[in-house]
Amino acid sequence: MGGICSRKRDQQVNEEGLQRVVSGRYCRSASTKWFRAKALHSMANHRLGGASRPSLMELCIHKIREDIDKYSSFSILPRDISQQIFNELVDSHCLTDVSLEAFRDCALQDICLVEYPGVHDGWMDTISSQGQSLLSVDLTGSQVTDKGLHFLKDCSNLQALTLDFCNQFSDHGLKHVSGLSNLTSLSIRKSSTVTPDGMRTFSNLVKLEKLDLERCPEVHGGFVHLEGLKKLESLNIGCCKCVIDSDIKAISGLTNLKELLIFNTSVTDLGISYLRDLQKLATLDMEGCNITAACLDSVSALAALACLNLNRCGLSDDGFEKISGLTNLKRLSLGFNYITDACLIHLKGLMDLEFLNLDSCKIGDEGLANLTGLSHLKALELSDTEVGSNGLRYISGLNKLESLNLSFTLVTDSGLKRLSGMTSLKSLNLDSRQITDAGLAKLTSLSGLIKLDLFGSRISDSGTAYLRYFKNLQSLEICGGGLTDAGIQNIKDIASLTQLNLSQNGNLTDKTLELLSGLTGLRSLNVSNSQITNEGLQYLKPLKNLRTLNLESCKVSAAELKKLQLAELPNLITFRPE
Amino acid sequence: MKKEDTVKLISAEGFEFVVDKEAAMVSQTIHNMLTSPGSFSERQHGEVTFPEISTTILEKICQYFYWHLQFASGKETEFPIEPELTLELMMAANYLHT
Repeated sequence: MGGICSRKRDQQVNEEGLQRVVSGRYCRSASTKWFRAKALHSMANHRLGGASRPSLMELCIHKIREDIDKYSSFSILPRDISQQIFNELVDSHCLTDVSLEAFRDCALQDICLVEYPGVHDGWMDTISSQGQSLLSVDLTGSQVTDKGLHFLKDCSNLQALTLDFCNQFSDHGLKHVSGLSNLTSLSIRKSSTVTPDGMRTFSNLVKLEKLDLERCPEVHGGFVHLEGLKKLESLNIGCCKCVIDSDIKAISGLTNLKELLIFNTSVTDLGISYLRDLQKLATLDMEGCNITAACLDSVSALAALACLNLNRCGLSDDGFEKISGLTNLKRLSLGFNYITDACLIHLKGLMDLEFLNLDSCKIGDEGLANLTGLSHLKALELSDTEVGSNGLRYISGLNKLESLNLSFTLVTDSGLKRLSGMTSLKSLNLDSRQITDAGLAKLTSLSGLIKLDLFGSRISDSGTAYLRYFKNLQSLEICGGGLTDAGIQNIKDIASLTQLNLSQNGNLTDKTLELLSGLTGLRSLNVSNSQITNEGLQYLKPLKNLRTLNLESCKVSAAELKKLQLAELPNLITFRPE
Repeated sequence: MKKEDTVKLISAEGFEFVVDKEAAMVSQTIHNMLTSPGSFSERQHGEVTFPEISTTILEKICQYFYWHLQFASGKETEFPIEPELTLELMMAANYLHT
């Protein structure tokens, strides 16, 4: 059980709407007839889990993947079919220098090679042969150099280009990008190539709507070249430590900006004051900036602001009265600041708030009284605060609340009865040692729960009987060490479960796996630190949807687990011990 | 096999395949032809001509229809596809939405 308390450190506070745009797939082709997500990993060896019947198209694509060396060209196929084959080869990591050649002149629209192994300049000729058809290219993490980028000049219709974490090209290579005047989205994260001189290139990209330079260490001084980009709506320069107030001044005329991410930069209150004219700004992320609450004076002038992230800014209560004017705010993050109950008074009038993060703030029960009227709240983070059972009465009337985090608070079993009427709750975190079976007993009315985190709570076998009231539960964590196989009897029938964490319950045996073998929807299972042995692995065979499996610190060998994966669990991607 | 339970699929070369309607309707395109209101001639005569699908490919398509039905009823065998047919088969599958 030693690991219980260490988990909190690794937990990322979920910022949802404010999340840093993940460098994900950027697909421009609009073919909805065949869904990309239907990756054929699920049909490895034609073993399809249950009801899904493969279409002939899927079977053909699967077949091509198996015999890819028998095909020299796909250019006779309609574009949307060759695009599907391409995507499938990428998803299954079957695309190579040789097989790529078969896609020459296929008029593909999307080339998404995020973190694809072995992408280098030699691939760029075939990529550029898609010519005017090509709309988006993502070469994240590739070895492409200036020479490779030169090939893109033939693809003048390109709308989206992503070169995140590519460190092999120079500002000379960036110059090739300047001809791509149809670009609306450009992302070059973590590149030291983006220098003030290299940024000169951007001034030609007048259609640019989205620019992402997160983690570029050398951008200071280059923002003057963005002045003409009047269409720019989104700018991410988060984690660019070199960015200082004068850089913010340089972008202060980009009045079309709707989203500005400057988290973890060296911007101070002065820099924030330059944002006054950005009247369309809806999202502002200043997490970890060296600011004081005094800058809220400038921020309060941004009337369109709907999402504001002030996490980890070292703020105290002084100056927070200004925030009360931001009545359009829907999402507000104030986590990890020194603010107290006195600050929460100023949130009273923010009636549109849907998301509020007060993680690790110095707030207690009386502060919550100010939240009673925030009737649109859907998510509330109170983790690591001094909130106790008495405080819950102020929020128990928030009848739209879907997500509530009370982990590491002072809330006890008796307080949980205040939650029993909050039937809109879908996600509840009660990870805390003082929560026991008696507390869980008070929650049986919350039948809409999808996610329940009881990680460190002291739930015993008899407590698990209350779980059967949660018929929609998809994610469950009970890792307090109190469960034996008998408790699993009450978990085995929660058919909706896709994620189950029962680690640290040192008394669980192979019997547990036998009981869980009917939960075929499980995608993730963790029973680490238990008595499970190699003999128990046989019970996992029906769990065809398993993607991650953790049996670390059990009596299970890596070799047996590998055997199980190969023979029975085609979707298993991550497993321990490995 | 009653005539109204079957449908005739005719290849580019004029070769006729008589298959169960249930099987043919695995194809969304054929399903629409045979069920949509109005007077599709296909619906009236119970036959569909595919001027762009060769006999070899259409035969394979018909095999797939029956394989699909079997699969649905729990008989999960492998459907064999010869590499030399794959590309043409895909174009037909695309058209037939199957």
